[in-house]
Amino acid sequence: MEISVRQICFILIFYNAASKLLQYPTLLSGYAGSGLLFSALVSFAVEGAVIWAVAYLSSKTEKTLFALVKDTFGEVAARIVYGFFAVFFILCSVLPLFEHKLYVHAIFYDTVPALFSFLPVFFFTVYAGSKPFKNIGRCADICMPVFILSFAFVAFMSLSEVDYTNLLPLNAAPAKSIFGGSLKTALYFTEPAYLLMFLGHYKYKKGDAARLVLSYAGGAAIVLFFLATFYGVYGGISSSRQFAISKTSLYFSAMDMIGRVDLFALYAMEFVMLFAYVLNIQLAVHCLVRCTGFKSPEILSFAVNAALFAVIVAFDRFYTAIQSLFAGWMWIPVVLFAVALPAAAWGLRRRRNES
Amino acid sequence: MPTLEKNINSVKKILTSADILVFEFISEGGKKFAAIYADGIADKALLGELVVKPLRAAEAEDGIEKVRLLLASPEVKDCNRIPDAVKEISDGNAVLFVDGEKDFFIIGLKSPPARAISEPPTQIAVKGPREGFIEDIKTNMGLVRKRIKSENLQIKTIKCGERSDTAVALVYIEGVCPAGLPEKIEKQISENEIDIIPDSSYISSFISKRPRSLFKRVGTAEKPDIFCAKICEGRVGILVDGSPIAVTAPYMIVEDFQTGEDYYQSSYRATTLRLIRAISVFIGILLPALYVSAQLFKSQLIPFRLLLKISSSVQGIPLSPSIEMFLTLLVLEVLNEASIRMPKYVGLALSIVGALVLGDTAVKAGIISTPAIIIIAFSAICLYTVPDLVETTATLRWIYLIVAGSIGSFGLVVLTGFIITYLCSENVYGVPLLAPFAPLVKGDLYDAMTKSNLYTLKNRPASLRSGDKVRLKNGNKR
Amino acid sequence: MKAELDRRALRRVSVVFFWLVLIALAGLFFTNDFGIVDLHKTSIITAVGVDVTENEVQVTAQLAVPMPSQSGENVEYTAVQGSGETIADALNEINVKTGFYPQLQFCKLILLGDSCKEKNIFQVLGCFYRKNYSELTAKVAMCEGKASDMLSMKTSTSDMTASVILRALSDELKKSANVSGVNLKDIAVENFSVSSAAYMPYVEANKSGTSEEGGNGDNVGGDPPSGGSPEGGSGGGSSGGGSSGGGGQESGGGGGSAPGGNVEFTARKTACFSGGEFKGILDEQQSFALDILKNEIRLAVLPCDAGEYHYTLGLKNVKSKTELKIKDGKPLVTVKFGARAQIAGIKKPVDPAETAADDKLTGEVKEGADREMEARLSSLVEACRKSDCDILGIKTLLYKYHNSHYGRLKDSILSDMEVVYDVEINSVN
Repeated sequence: MEISVRQICFILIFYNAASKLLQYPTLLSGYAGSGLLFSALVSFAVEGAVIWAVAYLSSKTEKTLFALVKDTFGEVAARIVYGFFAVFFILCSVLPLFEHKLYVHAIFYDTVPALFSFLPVFFFTVYAGSKPFKNIGRCADICMPVFILSFAFVAFMSLSEVDYTNLLPLNAAPAKSIFGGSLKTALYFTEPAYLLMFLGHYKYKKGDAARLVLSYAGGAAIVLFFLATFYGVYGGISSSRQFAISKTSLYFSAMDMIGRVDLFALYAMEFVMLFAYVLNIQLAVHCLVRCTGFKSPEILSFAVNAALFAVIVAFDRFYTAIQSLFAGWMWIPVVLFAVALPAAAWGLRRRRNES
Repeated sequence: MPTLEKNINSVKKILTSADILVFEFISEGGKKFAAIYADGIADKALLGELVVKPLRAAEAEDGIEKVRLLLASPEVKDCNRIPDAVKEISDGNAVLFVDGEKDFFIIGLKSPPARAISEPPTQIAVKGPREGFIEDIKTNMGLVRKRIKSENLQIKTIKCGERSDTAVALVYIEGVCPAGLPEKIEKQISENEIDIIPDSSYISSFISKRPRSLFKRVGTAEKPDIFCAKICEGRVGILVDGSPIAVTAPYMIVEDFQTGEDYYQSSYRATTLRLIRAISVFIGILLPALYVSAQLFKSQLIPFRLLLKISSSVQGIPLSPSIEMFLTLLVLEVLNEASIRMPKYVGLALSIVGALVLGDTAVKAGIISTPAIIIIAFSAICLYTVPDLVETTATLRWIYLIVAGSIGSFGLVVLTGFIITYLCSENVYGVPLLAPFAPLVKGDLYDAMTKSNLYTLKNRPASLRSGDKVRLKNGNKR
Repeated sequence: MKAELDRRALRRVSVVFFWLVLIALAGLFFTNDFGIVDLHKTSIITAVGVDVTENEVQVTAQLAVPMPSQSGENVEYTAVQGSGETIADALNEINVKTGFYPQLQFCKLILLGDSCKEKNIFQVLGCFYRKNYSELTAKVAMCEGKASDMLSMKTSTSDMTASVILRALSDELKKSANVSGVNLKDIAVENFSVSSAAYMPYVEANKSGTSEEGGNGDNVGGDPPSGGSPEGGSGGGSSGGGSSGGGGQESGGGGGSAPGGNVEFTARKTACFSGGEFKGILDEQQSFALDILKNEIRLAVLPCDAGEYHYTLGLKNVKSKTELKIKDGKPLVTVKFGARAQIAGIKKPVDPAETAADDKLTGEVKEGADREMEARLSSLVEACRKSDCDILGIKTLLYKYHNSHYGRLKDSILSDMEVVYDVEINSVN
C-alpha cells in the first residue's frame, strides 16, 4: 500500500491544523467575532461527519475512488470526476498561495520584498507536486514532530498574554454571523476530499475509521485552541491582525532579552505549512494523471504550477479582492467536492476486491 | 610432456616484468622444480621452508601426487591453466612447476606489505575496542571472523576490476540478512567492468542506485566491532582488498549520527551525544546561511543587543555580508584542504598561518568581521561532530549559504522542504533512507536519535527487514 | 521504452534547469541586488517621540548608529526629527535626511508629548497599527512637555535616553504596582472593547536629587483638560527643549539635555483616555490602585499611617478582583483586594528588643493599611466615575457576564453602580 493509516492520521491532525493557522483565525474573527469558536465548531462538525463517512466507506471497499466510479458509471465518467477534482484542488490552492506569499513577506523579510522572493516556492511545488502518495505519507511523518515542537513553542509563548474571557459572552455572536463565518471560510475545509483521494491507497484495519475521525478531531482541537488563544490575545482587534500564528507569541516577556526566537518556530511551522499546501497540488496532479492517462506526473505538476504561477503574477496586488471573491463563492465547490461527493461515494459499487 | 622451461616461458611471456622471479631447484633425487612468484608480495621465507626444503627429498621418478604429499604448505591448489597461474602470481602466490608435469601447484604464500592493525583516525573511541581495519582484506576478514564465530557467517569473495583483479568480500549472516540481498549486491557489483578498484568508495558507487546523488547511499565502517554490529543487524558488509574502509548496505542516514562508543556507555550519555551531533550538524549547515539572511533580510532574527554588536563589527567592512561569508568559508575550505594534503610539519605551520596571520590580520585590516570568523569556525567544528557526513554537509553548507544570500530565510525553508521531499522518496535496497523517521518505525526510534537501554533494544531494526527479528531473547525479563 | 526516453529527456531538462537556477542564485548572491533594504541601509529606531502641533505631527526618532569596532559594541545614539501631516510623512522625512530607511522593528518605546492630549489617541498612533512592519509590542507612554525634549535629555545611567525611560516602564516595576505599563496592543484591545477606555503611564523627568511635587492640573475627575499649559509642572519637561526644538532639526545624542544636568525618569502617574480622547491623569495613589487591579503583582509597597506613626508595608500574595453583580436590576461592583503584608519600615526609632517581631502587623496597622488601600481604590473608582472613563472595564464585565442587562445599563453603569470595597490585608506571619 502506498500510504499508511498512521500517515493519513498525521495529515488529518497536522496538515489540517497547519493550513488553518494563517488567515483563517483572522478572517473568522472578522466574520463571527467572539463566536469564532462556534463557527469553527460548525465547520469541523460537518467535515468530521464526512470524514467518518469516507473512513467508514474504506472499511467496506479496497477500491480507489477511480475504481468505484469506473465500476459504477464507466471509465469515462471516472476520468471526468477526477478531472473535476483536479480543478477543485487547483482552486483550493489559489488562496493559500496568496496567503503564503504575504505571510512569507511579513515574517521572512524586514521590508517589502519583490514578488520574486516568493517564487522559489514553485521549485519546491513542482518537484513535490509530482511525488506519489508514498512520498506524501513520509513527508507527513517528518512534519509531525516539526509541527508539535513549533506549535508547542508558539503556544507556550502566547499563553502569558491570553485572556480567554475575551470570548465571553458565549451567546454574543448571532447565529447568522456564526453560520456565515462557517460558509465564508469553507474553503479551508477540504480534508474529506483528501481522504476520498486516499481511498484504496491504504490498507484498512479494524478501528481505523475511529482512528481517522479522532485524528481529525485532534487537528480540530489544535485549531480551536489556537482560535481561542488568538482571540484571547487580541480580543476586538483580532480581525485586523493578519497571519494569526505569527502574532500571538510576540508578547513573551523574555523576548526583549533573547530576541525573536519565535521566528524560528514560525519558520519550522512554515515548513509544515508548505507541505500542507503542496498536498493540494499533489492531489491535483494525481487526479490529472488518472484523468488524462498521461504517465509523467512531473510535466503535469509543472503545468499545474505554471497555472498557479500565472495567477499569482497576474493578481499579485489583489489579495483582498481574491479573498473576498473566494469567501463569496468557494463554499459551493467545497460543499460539492468535500461534503456532497464524499458522502455520495457511499452510493457507488463498493464490493471488496477478490484479492 | 611439457618441459619445465616451456612452462616457465609460457608464464614469462605474459608476465614480462622484472619483479617476477623464477627460482629453479633440483631435489637430492634429481627432480627439477621451478617456483615463480612476484617479488615483494610473496613470502620468500615460507617458500623456502614449506616448499623448497620438503621437496629436497623428492625422487626423480616421483609423480605429481607424490610431490603434493611432500609439500608442507597448508594452502596448496592444483591448477593446469597458465592464465590462472598468471593471476595467482599477480595476487602474491607462488606457482610451482614440476618437471615433466602438465599440472602445477599454486602455493598460498601471499604476504603483501601491510601495516599493523591500529585505531582508525576518524573513529577514535575512548571506551570500546580500538582495532581498525587495514588495507589487507585477509586480515580484515580475520578481524570479522574473530568477532562472529557463527556458522551462519558467510564471506563470499568475488573479483572486481579487470586489471586490478581486486578481491571484494561480501560478508553477511545467513538468516539474519534479508534473503536475496547479498545476491542483489553481488549482481550490482559484477555488472560494472572497470579496470581498477583502488578503494571501497568505488564499490559504494557501484551499489548506489543514484551515484550522482549528493547524499550517501551506503554506510561505512572502519572498525570491525562496528562492522560486525551492522552485519548482525541484517546488513551486508563489503570488504575490499586495499581499502581500510568497509562498506555496509542497506544504509539509513541516521546511522551516521551513531558511533560505536554509543553502545559502550550509558544510554543517557549516548542519547545526549546523539542529540548534540544532530543539533551540531544543523547548526553547522545553517548558521552561516542564517547569519547572512538575518543581516540582509531579517535583522529581527538577531537579539537587539547582539545586533548592535554585530552592526558595530560589520561597519566599515568593504564587503557585503554574503560575499564576506562566502570568502571566509572559502578560506576555511582552502585551509582545510591544504592542511590535510600538506606534509605534517608544514601543515602545523600552515594552521598557524591560517589561524593567526590570515584570520587575525583580516579582522584587524577590517576586511572580514569578527562575527563572520566566529560563525565559520563554529560551523566547521559543528560539522565534524559527524565526520561520516562531512562530504554531504559541507556541500550543503555552500548551497544553503548561496540560497540564503540570494533569497533569504524563506529560501532555506524551501530548500529544506525540497531536500526532505527528495530524501523521503529515496530507498536503498528497499530501506527508506530516512527510516526510522519517514516512514515512522516506532520500534527503531529507540536506537535512532536517542539510544535506549540495551534491554529495550530486543529486536533488530525493523526497517532493515531482517530475517531474524529478535536479537536479545531475555530482554523481557528486565 | 518511450516512457524511459521521456524520463531521460526530463532529467536532462531538469539538470539544465538546475544549473540555470544556480547561476541565477549566484548572480543574486554576488551582486546583492535584491531590491530590498538590508541592515546596512537601515537605521535602527529604538524609540519614537510624537508631538503634535495644529497642522502637523513632529516625530523624533532615537536612532542607534553602530560605529566601527572590532571588539564589542560601539553604538552612538542620535535623535533625528521629521515632521509632516502624518507620522508616516514624518518618518519619510527622517528617511530623506538620514539616507537610511527607518525600521520600526526594534522600536520599543513610543512617547507621546503633552500636545497629543488634544488629538484622538488613535489619530496619533494609527500609523503604528496600519504599518505591517511594526509589531504592537512597543511600550506606549505619555510624557510631560514635548516628547522630543524628553528623548533628548541627558541621563546619568545611559547614552540612550529611551532605554532609561523604558526602565521606568519596565515589567518589573509593573509587577510592583509602580507603573501601569502598556503596549500598543493593550491600548487597542482596551479601547476597542465595549469599555472603550485606555490608559498609559505618564512619564515625568526629574533632575537628579530632586523629588517630584505637585501635578500638572490634568487630574482625572478634576477640572476638565483645558488644553492649555500645564499648571504646577514639575520641571524639566516642556521648557527643557534645548537645541532640538524645531521640526526637521537634527541633534546628536543627548544634545538637547535638560538645563542643569542629568535627569531621572519616573512614570508613577497614569494618563487615561476614553474613546481615544484624553480624560486626565491619575495621581500616584490612583495609579497604584489601578496597577493592583489590572496586573499581577508580586511585591508592592504601601505606605500608611496608623496611630502616631507612618508605616511602610511590603505586600505579597496580592490578589485583586473587580466583580460585577446585578442586584435588583442595579449594578453592584465589588472591588476585592487581599494581600499578605509585613512592615518594611516605621518612622520611629528602632527598639532592639522588639526587632525580632516588629515586621508583624498589629491590629492598628492592619486597620491603617486597609483604610489606605480602600481610600486609594475608592479614589480611583470615583475618578473613573466622574470622568466617565471606564478604565476598570466595568462595561466589559457587564457585557461578558451580564449580557442580558448590557443594553439597558451600558450608558449609565458608571454613574449608577454601587461600589463595595472588600479589602483584607493580613500579616505575613
